[in-house]
Amino acid sequence: MTAAATPFGDAPAARYGFGLLVVLLYVFLLAPLVTIVGASFTSGMLIEFPPRGFSLQWYGQFFQRDNLVAALLVSLRVGLITAVVTSIMAMMAALAGQAMAGKLGGWFQIGMVLPLLVPELLTGVGLLFFLYKIGLGRSLLGLQIGHILMSFPYAYVSISAALRQVPPSLGEASSSLGATGWQTFRLVTLPLVRPGLVMGAIFAFINSFDLYTMSLLLKPVGGTTLPLALFDFLTYEFKPTAAAAATLSILLALVGVALVQRLVGLQRAF
Amino acid sequence: MRRAARLQLLLGLPAVALIFVFMILPITNMVEMSFRTPGVTEPFGNDYTLMHYGRVLGDPYYWGALGRSLLVATTVTVLCLIVSYPVAWHLSKADGLKMVILYALIASPLMTGVLVRNFGWMIIAALNGPLNQSLLGLGLIDRPLRLLFTQGLVVLALVHVFMPFMVLPINNAIRNISPSLVEAAASMGASRSATFRDIVLPLSFPGIQAGVTLVFVLAIAAYVTPALLGGQMVTYMPTQIIAELTGTFRWPLGSTLAIGLSLTTLLVVAVFTLATWRLLDRVRA
Repeated sequence: MTAAATPFGDAPAARYGFGLLVVLLYVFLLAPLVTIVGASFTSGMLIEFPPRGFSLQWYGQFFQRDNLVAALLVSLRVGLITAVVTSIMAMMAALAGQAMAGKLGGWFQIGMVLPLLVPELLTGVGLLFFLYKIGLGRSLLGLQIGHILMSFPYAYVSISAALRQVPPSLGEASSSLGATGWQTFRLVTLPLVRPGLVMGAIFAFINSFDLYTMSLLLKPVGGTTLPLALFDFLTYEFKPTAAAAATLSILLALVGVALVQRLVGLQRAF
Repeated sequence: MRRAARLQLLLGLPAVALIFVFMILPITNMVEMSFRTPGVTEPFGNDYTLMHYGRVLGDPYYWGALGRSLLVATTVTVLCLIVSYPVAWHLSKADGLKMVILYALIASPLMTGVLVRNFGWMIIAALNGPLNQSLLGLGLIDRPLRLLFTQGLVVLALVHVFMPFMVLPINNAIRNISPSLVEAAASMGASRSATFRDIVLPLSFPGIQAGVTLVFVLAIAAYVTPALLGGQMVTYMPTQIIAELTGTFRWPLGSTLAIGLSLTTLLVVAVFTLATWRLLDRVRA
């Protein structure tokens, strides 16, 4: 059977009509990203697309703005800690989930992705009160906890999917040959799930780097993340510096997509 | 149970603690907060009251914000389904390098932050931006449209934000349809359109249901897009909630609004799930 070109038959009209529709929808999907990247290279003084000429001046401007650079550093650091902590916790949780059977396992799976199922706004509001109550209100540690919580499900989903691909017989063989649980994990399981583990860490990092609502609610005193700083920048001085900052964020997403494709393939990841 | 297996269960404790302590407890906390009296120097008082529920239920201002949020979320969900289905169908038929490229085109916006993507729409929808320029160039309008800070732009940007969440589950559902079913229909003389209408569309329904639920739940609670692109004049439920929490510091009132929004969302999702239950049952059969 040849691949169908449209759901409505292969007449030229249907073919071209459907093809054009799909192209336009992809244009819609990519337009904001292309516009930002384009606008960041303008040599003019205004945010505009298509850009006027070409220059890297706004990237220079970005790195001279202490508040934006400080926010970028906060975002990078919070994101890195989030990636490390969530992937270790998610690896452990995925191993625990593997040992659970039946109904308990099902509930455990739902519990682990709960932060994805409940709107970020709701979790953020609850966490705002709770952190205030336990004395972590408006602290960097509180913000870090919020980011870990919101990013955990992404790491968990990637890692537990990778773990499901490992045949249980390998672990059994390893322990029947006298390996301890830790040896089996380190020498057999870990090398096999490593791509999923790295992918989970990447998803967690990017999710943390992009979080907005949670960060706004838990914003620490004297510290701010890049999305928060960018929002204020856009509200008060709409300049191409913002496009340069946003382009860095898009670049990060593209690197993430490329890594995920290399590690496990985009089709399996999404 | 073997000792090793029992030890393996213990590995789940940190994650369970994370979710329980920093998510389930805080949300219970929020319910408690909604019954607190207003504070004088603190964001909340020490006594309990039902006044915030009375206030929220009796004030048309909050009903207006809720109605607007419901309307926007519903519009976004429906538009999202319409624009995502062709893309999902097209993606489900691709393989090899073409498939990888298409996945990358969908995943790239998905992995870019919502704020950044909304900022892109600010540039596109500006008075002298590319959208107005093209519409002028095509002769469709005489003078630039004021698009920024309108409800229409909020809807457009939200459709863009959530499109991948609709495309991916529908794509997976279509991919799961057994090719032999489609071939059988074709061999019995069904036209391509008839096969699509009677087989592919109904069998992709689980993906549609997942996408619709996800997009609605995310859209009704979305904060950044209405805050950045909606302007100061219109309030939506999420912007109102954040204003009460971080602006006026009326935490009990903010909690009551958040609970109201959650219950409304839950109700809509429940009604939608029940209404489509039989449809899904037929598909499963």
